[in-house]
Amino acid sequence: MAAPAALPQLDLELRDIRKRYGGFTAVDGVSLQVPKGQFVCLLGPSGCGKTTTLRCVAGLEEPDSGDILIGGREVTADPPWQRDIAMMFQDFALFPHMSVAKQVGFGLEMQKKPRAEITRRVAEVLGAFEIAHLADRRPSQLSGGQKQRVALARAMITEPRILLLDEPIGALDYSLRETVMLELKALQKRSGISFIWVTHDQNEAFSLGDQVVVMNHARIEQQGRPEEVLSRPRTAFVAGFIQGNNILRGQAQGARDGLLDIRTEDGSFAVPLNGRAVPAAGSPVSFSVRAERLQEAAADELPNRISLRCTLVEYFGAYRRHVLETRSGATIKWDQFGALPQSVFAGELVTFGWKAEDGVLHA
Amino acid sequence: MSSIRPRSAAAYWLAVPAGLWMLAAVVLPTLLILWVSLWGGQSVSPDNPITFDNYARFLSNGSYRALMLDTLAQAAMIMGITGVLGYCIAYFLTVKVTSPAWRTALFLAFVIPFWTSTLIRAIAFVPFLGVNGLLNQALLAAGLIEQPIQAFLYSRLGVSMAQVSLYTLLASGPVVYMLNSIPPALREAAMTLKASPFTVFRRIILPLTLPGIVIGQVLVFLNVLADFITVTTVGGNKLAFLGNLILLFYEGSQIRATAVVSVLLMAVMLAGVAVALRIVDIRKVGG
Repeated sequence: MAAPAALPQLDLELRDIRKRYGGFTAVDGVSLQVPKGQFVCLLGPSGCGKTTTLRCVAGLEEPDSGDILIGGREVTADPPWQRDIAMMFQDFALFPHMSVAKQVGFGLEMQKKPRAEITRRVAEVLGAFEIAHLADRRPSQLSGGQKQRVALARAMITEPRILLLDEPIGALDYSLRETVMLELKALQKRSGISFIWVTHDQNEAFSLGDQVVVMNHARIEQQGRPEEVLSRPRTAFVAGFIQGNNILRGQAQGARDGLLDIRTEDGSFAVPLNGRAVPAAGSPVSFSVRAERLQEAAADELPNRISLRCTLVEYFGAYRRHVLETRSGATIKWDQFGALPQSVFAGELVTFGWKAEDGVLHA
Repeated sequence: MSSIRPRSAAAYWLAVPAGLWMLAAVVLPTLLILWVSLWGGQSVSPDNPITFDNYARFLSNGSYRALMLDTLAQAAMIMGITGVLGYCIAYFLTVKVTSPAWRTALFLAFVIPFWTSTLIRAIAFVPFLGVNGLLNQALLAAGLIEQPIQAFLYSRLGVSMAQVSLYTLLASGPVVYMLNSIPPALREAAMTLKASPFTVFRRIILPLTLPGIVIGQVLVFLNVLADFITVTTVGGNKLAFLGNLILLFYEGSQIRATAVVSVLLMAVMLAGVAVALRIVDIRKVGG
């Protein structure tokens, strides 16, 4: 057999998925590969197509074109009940007329498992999710956190290849979210099931995902490991969507030593090309610098310098955020980590700088 | 804004007007009918002794017993037909029609005929079902029959067709309401748990719409039992159910027999409602 054995098996592959509703394009050429047992977060603002993409994977929507492969098998035209997936819905979608035990056993019942096995497995899973004491309750008698556990148990008991989660903790109290996130991450690692998690919350996406897929206007803007997306936003949209990026816009001037010279209303800056082709002189470009990368001290020795006026200082505990204004009126943020004494005050005029390699050129 | 607490003096005082009205318009007349049905003796007078003789006499008559059973059979048949038909219409309107404009249009087309009075609608069936009626003319024009069908009007078939048409909305409306209150995610959740569409219907949709079905069936049951207009107008003089019997006795000034049949009819209706309440808790509907 000449089969390429080295090819890693994918739990999910999307090839150029497109979906339109009338004149509205919900998904516009989305391609994605999810290796076995990965935690993938689809991140984006509402209406960006992340939920429609998820529903296409579930089979609840049929894409107009493109292929969906689950575990290497083409399933694009298959209905949901023939796909090796389970799904957790935003408001949990528990069946109001079924007890917790009945509800959790539903998936096994659908698989025509023997009654004794269902009873045993339901007991196991209820125990594992610490909801055994709720077995006889109806959904209306459960708290938000309990509903979330029941919905998760109901989906996980079928041991699907992929678990699809549509804003799964969005309906929970804020105080519960972090605990639930940690539990879900641990559960995902333990089970080896791939999680596709849709969210508009970047904290969720970056702390949970092995891979983060940022979407906007029905397209994927960037996908990669959380560190990659955080440190090297590929587009101005990603840089703007992720907290803590300063975005500057200007015209390309010419490149030297792998650095692109960009002229803005607030001065000229050198930004690494990072292997990108040199943009035509005068063409509009944008780049970003993370708020914690700005340096106040020794600004004179840094290649990129900018004059700013501080308008606001906010203290967040872990860091202190300074809101500054350029001469042209653009807003720049500087985050100071560590419990340092305040050095820049509102109203002050300061010069900040950053190293050339801290600038990220956008596509 | 102040609020009235339940079981407070103010709450009871506020309930008095409605309570008085119910007492005068419902409870007292009902008790009166019950009382009259128990009058004994030869002449009609309030001084008559109380007795169950009227009931015994009525129930010992085989043709009256048959007529009672026949009324129940008619109700059961109309309940069955309107139940299935009404559910199908409700399911089609709420689940299959996805365009909101079409849904509104079809729903109005379904509902508007019911804005006219029951009497008018019953009478309207006469020119529709008659020998030269619309239905026969349509069938003749379509070449499906060569002679007009006599049996449409002044027959049980005609009465049943009219009643199905009159009461389907009653069976359908509560189901529409219950279907609309089911979040689409429930159906989708069941599908992702490997339930086929038929199983989704059987295990999720049907149980969740059961209260709507039962309420619709109660409405149809009560209306068919109380319906004497359709039976008279569409059935001619060939057909009678309990409601017509009440009218017949009343017109014949047989006041005690009228009361007896009325009480029996009420008892049957209450029994039907009691059975329905055992199946669903109507107070929970919509909650």
